Amino acid sequence: MRGSIPSNLLLFFSIILGIFHCDLSHAGTQYKRTIENYSMPDVVLVNQNGAKVRFKELMQSNKPIIVDFIFGTCTTICPVLSAGFVNLQNKIGSDSKKVHLVSISIDPENDTPMVMNEYLKRYKAKPGWDFLTGSRKDIDTVMKAFNAYIPNKMSHYPLTLMRPSGDNKWIRIFGLMSSLEFISEYQKMANK
Amino acid sequence: MTVMGHIFYNWLSKSAFATALILLPLMHISDASAGNEPLLSPSSESLQLGEQMYRNGILPSGEPIQAFVKGDLPVPGTAFSCVSCHLRGGLGSVEGGVFTPPTSGLQLFQPFKILFKGLTQTFFPFPDRRPAYNDTTLAEVIRSGATPWGSTLNDVMPRYLLEDNDMAVLITYLKSLSARFPPGISDTTIHFASIITEDVSKEERDSMLAPLQRYINIKNSQVNSYKSSLGKKSRQMAENMMVSKELSTRKLTLSVWLLKGAQNTWHTQLEEYYRQEPVFALLGGISRSGWRPIHQFSEDNKIPCILPQTDFPVISDTDWYTLYPSKGYYQEGQAAARYLISTQEGKTDKKVVQIVRNSIEGAALSAGFEQTLRERNQPPVVTVQLQVGEKITSGFLQQIIKKENTETIILWDDTDVLTALESLSSITNKPKSVFVSARYLGDKLHKLPDNAREFTYITYPYSFAKAAVPSAMGGSILIEDESKTLVNLAQLPGHKPPETARQTSETITQLITMDLMEMRGNYYRDNFLDVLGMIPDQPSPTYARLSFGPGQRYASKGCYIVQLTRGESPVLVKKSAWVIH
Repeated sequence: MRGSIPSNLLLFFSIILGIFHCDLSHAGTQYKRTIENYSMPDVVLVNQNGAKVRFKELMQSNKPIIVDFIFGTCTTICPVLSAGFVNLQNKIGSDSKKVHLVSISIDPENDTPMVMNEYLKRYKAKPGWDFLTGSRKDIDTVMKAFNAYIPNKMSHYPLTLMRPSGDNKWIRIFGLMSSLEFISEYQKMANK
Repeated sequence: MTVMGHIFYNWLSKSAFATALILLPLMHISDASAGNEPLLSPSSESLQLGEQMYRNGILPSGEPIQAFVKGDLPVPGTAFSCVSCHLRGGLGSVEGGVFTPPTSGLQLFQPFKILFKGLTQTFFPFPDRRPAYNDTTLAEVIRSGATPWGSTLNDVMPRYLLEDNDMAVLITYLKSLSARFPPGISDTTIHFASIITEDVSKEERDSMLAPLQRYINIKNSQVNSYKSSLGKKSRQMAENMMVSKELSTRKLTLSVWLLKGAQNTWHTQLEEYYRQEPVFALLGGISRSGWRPIHQFSEDNKIPCILPQTDFPVISDTDWYTLYPSKGYYQEGQAAARYLISTQEGKTDKKVVQIVRNSIEGAALSAGFEQTLRERNQPPVVTVQLQVGEKITSGFLQQIIKKENTETIILWDDTDVLTALESLSSITNKPKSVFVSARYLGDKLHKLPDNAREFTYITYPYSFAKAAVPSAMGGSILIEDESKTLVNLAQLPGHKPPETARQTSETITQLITMDLMEMRGNYYRDNFLDVLGMIPDQPSPTYARLSFGPGQRYASKGCYIVQLTRGESPVLVKKSAWVIH
């Protein structure tokens, strides 16, 4: 039996290594896209200016909407998602308000209006991009409505949710898109 | 759940490949970090410029670094500085399924090995994951993502357009980053200290120290048992199972530094203690009279201080080394201001009068209140200072109300609150609302005059939930604080300081257990805090939930506004959410 241990371990490590190599060569260029039906909850959140926002009404806007879940002190994936938002706003040009970008805090206790305002400033966000916080209970409700609930912010994952104008279907994108992929997804949605 | 169970759960909660990412690259770090090669001594000015590039994304010229992310997104380097992913200690991170490798010099300039903890690789030595970088290949990979072994970095890593001179400054800094263990770390020991000021009762001191000392005794007896010939197998098993094998041979020590006399002598006393007993970090600690000199000592010497028990923390968005349980009294002032703004449709149009006792508590409460109004662009508050011993008479209150035409009075006082509320309840033009602090009131909270309870709003910085006390070696189930009323007022945590002290120290043992393991032998102080910032929220009997996050330095963020019901058996009723926005 002793002799078999190294070969078993070797097999195990080979599998793990395979996964590791796979990640380095392909990560970042793959994402999962599905079409979903979501029912928006009637909760009141607070935006980066301290103003109360009825979430359900906001989600009924005639404009296309893009939602993501981030937090102010996040490392790695939130900055990348936010860079995608910045780039889209730049691409759209002067009328940045024609698409509504909505970032929802998953660290609502720390993300006060002031923290969120500073975050948006850091990314040079233009009008049309709002960052929302609220009570933990209401934020949990919103996460659950998008099938995106996580009990702890540190176990989050990259998610972008897009709803075309005048539609009630959501495009759910799991994973990180490149900016070209993001623009392409936006254009597909906008031309719908 | 045990710590191992907790870690295992975390791994399971991520995807299989994320698990592999965590397992493989990070595990080799400890051995690499133990290297003690002599390092060049670049000028401190050059290191400062490099630090500015690494932490803030600012070039030596003062301009932001130009960066591109996800292949083609141009972003300012200020939003994508190195530190935001590789973290301050440069040991990298795993978050949201994205693994960020280390960028400290010791890691970059040697081959990146694949090493499995506790397993001797005599049968099947693995090739290096990558060769060592040199200055040229490192510059290339930072600019273009092209690695010396012919592949391209994941495009989550931005590409930075740096001139040669700027690149040299950054690389010099990376070489210095987490390059040597700080004082307090040896091959056999990690030294800690707890700071206590002489105004703290013996019972409270003992309550604060007991869980820490018990934890250290358990840990050290494990290390002792591994040393015996019988314990060798147990040690090997522990090394195989534990994330950090370095802990199986390192003992922990805890010194107690007692500060005496005036606060302006504390810094000198601390420097002397530190000279005699160099410690890696400060655990807990307790003071009744302010933490500023200790906070400053930590900043000056770059010594982490974890959850010191003080109601008077230093409030700062940028200081790095002290992680407080909460903002203390300041947080209550903050909550009162936020509640006022939220209930008055965003603006406090009538004048607000703040009556503040000349005390350390009064100063902290009023600072939190005033600062929050300023941040939210509200009109300034009228502040009336009360000297020590000065009475709040009915005439005094009527005069203020008449003069300022106010509907809201903030009473940051402990000694004369009950009389003041009694007076206010019997005058004709009484204010619509009066705010007081539960922590400052202490036992008097239960004795508010019956007639004043309807208009008295109380800042209450504690949880209503009866959370289970976490044990030293497990348990991290978060309690949702959903009860609307608190019936048993004897539960007020402020009434039982020794118990609060003990509970906070229990939480510290939880945090330290996870932190020391997750550091995986990289005993650098910034890494200690970086790792702490990644720890999931923890339950707290006092605050329900303590939450962390990169750079976050106040673990409990909330404070209720409550009211006391009328009658002889009153209950506290929540009037606000835990965090008021």
